[in-house]
This record gives sequence, structure tokens and C-alpha cells, in this order.
Amino acid sequence: MSTVGKQGTPSRRARTHRISEWLDRQSSTLFITPAVVLILVFSLFPLVASLIIAFSRFRLRAGSYQVRWVGFKNFEKQFFGSEQFHFLGTFKGMSVLGWVVATVAGVLILYWLYRYCRQKFWWLGFIGRIISALMAFGLVLLFSATLLSGHQFGTLGVTLFYVFVGCSLQFAIGLGLALLCAQPIRGRTFFRVVFFLPLMITPIGIGYAFRMLADTTKGPFSPAWQWVGLGDFAWSTDPWAARLFIVIGDSWQWIPFVFIILLAALENIPKDHREAAEVDGASGWQIFREITWPQLLPVAATVMLIRLIEAFKLVDLPNIMTAGGPGIATESMSLHSYFAWRSLDLGQSAAIAYLLLITTVVICVSFFNYVVLGRLRQGNA
Amino acid sequence: MQNPTSEQSAQRLTLHALNKSFGLVHVVKDLSLDIHPGEFLVLLGPSGCGKTTALRMIAGLETVDSGTITLGDEDITHSLPKYRDIAMVFQSYALYPHKTVFENMGFPLKVSGYSPDEVKEAVHETAAQVHMTDYLERYPRELSGGQRQRVALGRAMIRRPSAFLMDEPLSNLDAKLRGHMRAELKRMQHDLGTTTVYVTHDQIEAMTLAHRVAIMNHGVLQQLGTPAEVYDEPANLFVAGFMGSPPMNFVKGAVDNNRFTATGLALPVTQYTGGSEAILGFRPEDAEVVAADAGLFNAHVFTSEQTGEYTLVTLELNDDTVTIKMPREFNATIRDTVGVRFPVNKGFLFDATTGDRNTGQLS
Amino acid sequence: MTAVRKKISRRRTPLQWLFEAPSIGKMAPGTAVFVYGLLLFWTLVVLFPLYWVLITSFKTALDVNNGPVFLPWVDFTPSLHAWRELLVIDYEDTLRSYINSIVIATLSTALCVAVGSMAAYALARITYKPKFGNILLFVLAMLGGCYVVWKAGVDWKIAMTAAFAIWFFLLKSVGRFFKKSVGNGDILFWMISQRILPPIVTVVPIYMMFQNLKMLDTHLALILTYTVVNLPIVVWLLYDFISGIPIELEESAQLDGASRFRTFWEIVLPLAKPGLAATTLLVLILAWNEYILAVFLSTSNAQTIPILVAAMNAGERGILWWSMCVVIIIMIIPVVFMAILLQRFISKGVLLGAVKG
Repeated sequence: MSTVGKQGTPSRRARTHRISEWLDRQSSTLFITPAVVLILVFSLFPLVASLIIAFSRFRLRAGSYQVRWVGFKNFEKQFFGSEQFHFLGTFKGMSVLGWVVATVAGVLILYWLYRYCRQKFWWLGFIGRIISALMAFGLVLLFSATLLSGHQFGTLGVTLFYVFVGCSLQFAIGLGLALLCAQPIRGRTFFRVVFFLPLMITPIGIGYAFRMLADTTKGPFSPAWQWVGLGDFAWSTDPWAARLFIVIGDSWQWIPFVFIILLAALENIPKDHREAAEVDGASGWQIFREITWPQLLPVAATVMLIRLIEAFKLVDLPNIMTAGGPGIATESMSLHSYFAWRSLDLGQSAAIAYLLLITTVVICVSFFNYVVLGRLRQGNA
Repeated sequence: MQNPTSEQSAQRLTLHALNKSFGLVHVVKDLSLDIHPGEFLVLLGPSGCGKTTALRMIAGLETVDSGTITLGDEDITHSLPKYRDIAMVFQSYALYPHKTVFENMGFPLKVSGYSPDEVKEAVHETAAQVHMTDYLERYPRELSGGQRQRVALGRAMIRRPSAFLMDEPLSNLDAKLRGHMRAELKRMQHDLGTTTVYVTHDQIEAMTLAHRVAIMNHGVLQQLGTPAEVYDEPANLFVAGFMGSPPMNFVKGAVDNNRFTATGLALPVTQYTGGSEAILGFRPEDAEVVAADAGLFNAHVFTSEQTGEYTLVTLELNDDTVTIKMPREFNATIRDTVGVRFPVNKGFLFDATTGDRNTGQLS
Repeated sequence: MTAVRKKISRRRTPLQWLFEAPSIGKMAPGTAVFVYGLLLFWTLVVLFPLYWVLITSFKTALDVNNGPVFLPWVDFTPSLHAWRELLVIDYEDTLRSYINSIVIATLSTALCVAVGSMAAYALARITYKPKFGNILLFVLAMLGGCYVVWKAGVDWKIAMTAAFAIWFFLLKSVGRFFKKSVGNGDILFWMISQRILPPIVTVVPIYMMFQNLKMLDTHLALILTYTVVNLPIVVWLLYDFISGIPIELEESAQLDGASRFRTFWEIVLPLAKPGLAATTLLVLILAWNEYILAVFLSTSNAQTIPILVAAMNAGERGILWWSMCVVIIIMIIPVVFMAILLQRFISKGVLLGAVKG
């Protein structure tokens, strides 16, 4: 200290010393304040504001805006409004299959709750499980009433389709590629870099590139389409084809993420474990089943949680690839909210966003609690 | 029921002219070993001498560049590890962290298709042998180092393999536990009578455990023999210097006219046939410090250390230092001139250029 | 164990010859065909769209509209017209978007990593015990402020300042009576969980906030927004990395008389370099590629390059595929270099620790 502070007059030195000491004492606050303030201003404040907007009729005026309280009107429109604004989809009575599936799911969920109560009881855990159970049952009911009864899917259904089908596909292929790259192959670095690329490319570029590829008359695969006799077929006119098309685009971008993390995790498993199993006489499949897979699970669960969170936000791909069409067949909730904003219906936009937030939080928190935490405990075990 | 722990005759394990290179580094050079059925053979050498690579080749975890490995009458040089019927204990134990002790020990049987009942019976039997019966439901992280070691041993034993391979299994234990486990290991191997190859860099382990010791350096086998042989009749400078603690003392000099000469000493020699540059070696425990001019040569006391059990006296002789083990009550004053004496038949002569031990004797 | 012993001398069946490795570290012919076949197939899946974008950028309108042509010089003559149009004739718009993107991506990344690494360090090394009651008071004060703005039409600056002042007063007076406090883990979880928020939830109020501040379509608006959006990632990854640095180094620096800031700057940051580099690259790429927030918050002045891509779809002439592909390519080029760099860090497991939890 003394050698550092030798320049300057004594009083000035003492002053700088005092200031720096004060700063040092406050350092614990100063380190974290910027992050907290930024998050408060750009995350917490908008969250509150968004909630207010969701309960309002909002009009933009020149340079200013006007807010009017409308209660649950915006949400009402989502749940019971005209088809164009349908969040849940249409249901005019359930088919037999729908009833069967809903009943079976209901019983299973009740059994799950019953089993939890039998094992150990903690009121917070119980409430959490009630929420998860209600959500799961609601979703199954919705699924039975729309898809299984042959009615139109809502934006909620579309979003969940993107999330669950997309994530499963990405996990399956990502894991497969990681296992391939963990083999004793030549050119591993090459494959790694190439497989990693799509993650780095802007979603908007991917959206347009896939639109070109999917074009059945002018795209690169058009000769093949013509040959199969699907020359007139257009991805964007068939609802399921369009949804699948978007899932493919999204997966093309995100498989690398799953791949690269799982590959790192695979390589991180001690070599000894595999070798010990080999000496002990395990076959390749047994090694995967008994050694690799259990040690991969904690990482896999976390990766899927991250993917789940990001998949709920999907908006640019459907916007570019199909613009939500045909009808609202490929409209994710984010996209719907974006469209509402574009037509200056801010209240509606915020209401949809809030519904999305609730769905995301319940599903992600459920996944985290029942899957990730369980795996982490097992992994550390 | 086929009992996995039923006794089985021990197998002969033969390595013939094994070679292995990693890139430009020739790690194992022409290694040939004939390991008798039921023998406990220790591969001893400093780190990087190729002993672990040799062991991994026997296990099938490394490919063999040239040479053959036979177990019993089967050529296993190129077969997969799982077909070799060999069990290995890894330095890190390689216990599966997500499996309990029971599952870890039962794993080799489970993967070769034994029924759960058979596995259970065998695990309990083996667990009793390694004293782990009370810990079967624990996970490896809940065990102490010694217990993990036992689980790893149990996992290797449970299959009654034709051969055990052990890669420095005791090096992760503290000194006290190591001594204890060493004794248990020796007893276990004796009772099982399974051919065992054991890799270590610790010469005490080698001396205490082995029926025969194979000493390696830079991928080359230096000497193969019983612990007493390698200790009493070292084949070359490396073996002489590696065995014994503290190591053998070396004095550089020359042999000329049947005399070994170095600055300050000249000793008569018979039957010496090597080059003129020679090295005289003698063990610290064979020599004693005597009054100046009463021994074979004189030296200055550099320091003396009490270990409790004995006193180690370090002497300066020209550029060399020699260490001598004396009884604990011995007292030396630093910088004193003293004499050194040892029986002439306990002195070894080495050819300094080749490093080989010479037939020459002090007389 | 005779069952095991028998296997050794058994002759390999054709199926085993095909799929079972002949010895360790080698692949059986069947396995090799399978593995390399799949790897090459996926390489094609990854590279073909990129190839298609690349050759489309050299096509004329005629080439695109008359059905697929695949190989330049073989079934069509490459033309540089799209490149010339964007980079020579009409270069101002392209250049402006490009520079905007560079400025916004780098500055937001720098800010994000600076703020995030400080927070991550603080959470890893300093114990925080904010009282639960105080946080509740703060939220209530802010909600009250919002209510006043909304119902009474008070200017929001005055209302928020007043709310903050009231909270501060309460904090100093009754704050110490609260008992229950939250820990570092809770703060960390709160920060990371911000990533769950879909941007669409927060972007409308942010849009209005910037409109109110007359900051719409400025660089600063995008920089701040991107910073916050990516902050959870930085905190999450760096928290794990910094926790892994031996604390003795920092303790010895503090014994030597270094302040916390100096310790952070001279000890922690240099040691966290691999983690910092990987995180920086990741955030940089995310900010570079971001589209939906840019749509909301910029129109022309702060237009980033993804917006320029979309702009090729806005004219009366339909989608200008060739020009769009040019923009996509110039956008991808820097990212490919970053990808190669980042790939190295990930394969070294720099980012794995955080995922392992």
C-alpha cells in the first residue's frame, strides 16, 4: 500500500484512499447491482406492464397511448372467441377415442398423485404436483377434444407440437450423431465442425433456405417430387405437412446443440469405466445401456430442459416459412402474439404472451422438478 | 446350477516378443514373459517404462503391433477383451458411480447372462471374501478408499477369471492402508491360486507380493527373477539402482590391472572382463561406517539422519555421495573423516559403458 | 465360468465378422459402412442447404423461376448481378445494416459479458442475504407506482422516483425487522430463469418504454435489450466456471492487499479466460442472428442485417431470392469462423460443466 500511494500530496492520497476503501466496502453491492437493475428494468418491469396491458384495451395515439381496463376480455377472446383467435382450437364434442384417452390419462394422473401422497407428503410438493397434474390433464383433454376428435388444432396445440415433437426429434438425432462421432472414426474434427454449423446460422436465413428447398416446383428436389407424382403438392397448403416442415427446419438448426453437448458429455465419461466393462465381458449394447446411458442422463436432461425453454419461443421460422398458414395451422403462440402486435392490438398480444408464459413455466418447472432434479440426484449418486 | 465361484485350474499366460508403438515412441520392445499357472508376477518399473501398456495389451485394451499373447492354450493376441476371460483392477478402480456395491460386483456376471439368483449368491459369497457384506447397498462415493479397493477386487474376483491384471491398485491409498491391503491381496491371491500380473512402480510392493518380478525400463525387460534374485543378483545398473531403499551406492572409477581405482580408493579385483570404465556398487545395509583408515576407503560425513529405526549416514566421496545404514544409536559428526567397510562379496562391479553387471568380484 | 471360456476359440460367424470389432479400437466392415454412411448422409443434410443458398446467390431470376439448376457452369451460367447490386450499386443500405449489426452485436456482447461476469463472480464468491420482506416491499412499491401512473395519470418518472424513495425509506426504517432472507442460490436461479421469458412477453412494454424515451430505432435500444436477453446465459455459464477456480488464489491476492475489484480484474478474469472466450462467442452469435426483437425495435436507422434479409421479401417484385442469398452469405461468413473457434472450446468441455449442474 505505502509504495503505491507515494505520489500526490498526503491529503489527496488520503482522500483517494478513503474513496477506494469506501468502494471496496461497497463492492459486494456494486458487483451485482448492474445485472439486477438491468433485469429489473428490462424484465420485471415489462412483465408487470405486460400484465396490465393484458387486462386492457390499448390504443396507440400519435405519440401517446390510451389504456382502458377491460378485465378478462382479452383472455376470454382467446378461450371462447371466433376461430381466427382460437387459442385452444375448436371442439364440438369428443369422439370415443378422445373419451378413452382422456379417461386413461385422468386415471394415470390420479394414480401418480396418489402414489406421491403415499410415499411422502410435503404440502409445497403436493401443490406443485396438483398444478402439474391439472395442466397435464387439461392438455390431454384438449388433445382428445381437438386432434383425436378430428377438429382444428389451436395455437396451444401447435406450440406443444413444435415443442414436444421437435425436441424429441432433436434429442434422438442429436444423440445418434454424438454416438457416431464417439466411434473410432477418422476426420472427427471435420464432422464436428460441419455438424455444428447450423446452430450458428440465423433462423431467418434457415427459414428462407428451407422455403427454397421445399418448393416442389422450382426447388432442388422438384424432380424427385415430380417422379413420385407429388408435383402439385405444396407443403404450405397441408396443415400437417406445414407443421412438419417447420419442425424439420427448427430441428436442422438445433440438432447441433444437442449433438455437441452430448458428445462432450460422452467424452467426459471416464475411459476406465468403459474399459472395465469391456474386460468384464459386456457387449457394445450392454456398455451403452449399463454404463454410458446412466452417466449421460443428467446432462441429457439438462440439455432437453434448455431446448424445451427455447422451443416455446419459436416464432421466426413459422413466420418466414408459412406465415402461420394455412389458416392458423402453423401459428405458434409467439407468432400469434406477434401478429396481434402487428395489427396494433396490444392487449390481445400481451394476453397471448401471458398464456404462453404460464404454459412455459408450468411445463418447464414440471420437467425440471420431476426429470432434471431426479437425474441430477442420480448422477451425483 | 453352475456356481461361478467353483474352483478352476490356473492358466499359463505367455507373452512372446510383444511390441507396441504410439506414433514414434516405441513403448514396449520385444517383451517376452512366461507366467506360470497361479503365479503372482509383478511388472516393476518407473512411470513411462511401458509396464501399463504391456498390461493393457494383455487385457486387450491396446492393440498389439507384433508378437503374441497366449492364455492357456489359446492365442488371445487379437481377441476382444470380453472374450479373454481376464479380470482387471484399474488404478482408479473404475467403479461405476451410478451403481451400488452390489450392482458393481454383480456386473460381470449380469452381462454374461447369469440369472439374478446366481448373481446374488455369487455377490454375497465374494463380498464375504473381501469383507464388504455390510456395504452392498452403498454407492461408491459413500465408501472409503480401502473399501472401494475391495469392491474393485471383488468385481475382478467374482468371475473366477483365468488371470487377474492389476494396474497399480494400491497407489491411491494412504501408506498405512496400503501395507494392510498388500497383505490381504497376497493372501487372497494365494487362496484363489489365479495367475496374476501386477503393475507397480513401488519396489516394496514388488518385493513383498511377487513370486517373480519383471523389471522394465524404457520398454525393455531388464531382469526377470524372484525378489531375492533381483535384489541379490541385479543384472545391471538400472535394476541395482531401482531395487532397495535407500538405493544402492555407486562409485565411478576404472578397472586397470585387476584393480578398481577411483580418487581416494584402490581395491583388488578378480575375473573382471568388461571395459576399463567401471562402477562399483554396494548396498547401504551391507556397509558400515568405521574409524578412518579402518575400512576399504575413507570419506567425509555429509550429514546423518535419524529415522527412528536406524540412522542414515551420507558420506561424500569425491563427486559421489554414498549412504550407509547404521544402527540407531550410531552418531556421526558432520565433516568428520570416516572409513567405509563392507564384505567384498557384497560389492558389485558394473561396466560403465553398457551398464551390465560384470562377473568381476572384489577380492 | 466355462461358458465364457468357450467363446474365445469360437469361430466368428458372418454376422460377427460384419458387426463385431476384430480387436479393440477398430471397426468391423459392416459397422464402418454403417457409421460412415450415416455421417456422410448427415454431412450432406447440413451442407446441402448452404450449398443451395450459395449457388442461388449466383443465379438470375430466370434460373430460379424456371425450375432447379444445380451446378454452376454446367447447367447455368453464374452471374454476379445480385452481388453487384448489393455490394456495388446499392451498397449504402447493405453497408449500413452490416455496420449496425457489428456495432450492436459487439457492444451488447461486451456489456453483457462485463455485467454478467461481475454478477457471476459476486454470486460465486460473496454471500448475499437480502431480506425476503424487503424484496416484497420493493415489488409492492413498484406495483403501487405503476398503479398510480395507470389510474391517476401521473408522469411515470415522478411516480417511479417516489415509489423508489418510499421503498428506500421503508428499507432503512422497518427493513431490519424482517427475518427471512433469500440466498445466493435463489438470486442465481432468479437471474437464470429470466431466460424462460419468451421475448414476446416483454417486448411490447419494452417497445413502449423506448417509444416513451424517444429511443426507438436507435442502436442503444437494441444493445440494451440484447444485453438483458443474453445476460442469463452469461451468468449461468460463468458462475460455474468461476466457482471452479481455486479460491486460494483470490484469498492470497486479498492478503496481499488487493481490493475486490482488483482481485476480480487481475486474478479471476484471466483465469476464467477459456470460459469467457466461449461465452463471448456464444453471446456474439446469438446477438448477431437475433431477428424478432430487431423487428420490434428498429425500422431503418438501426436496421440490422437479419432485417435486411427479410427486406428482400418486402418489395413489389416478390422475393428476391438471389439478393437474399447474398445477404445470408455475407451474414454467415463471420459466423462460420466463430463457429470453428467455439467448437474447439465446447469440445474441450468448457461449457459442459454448467450443463452438468
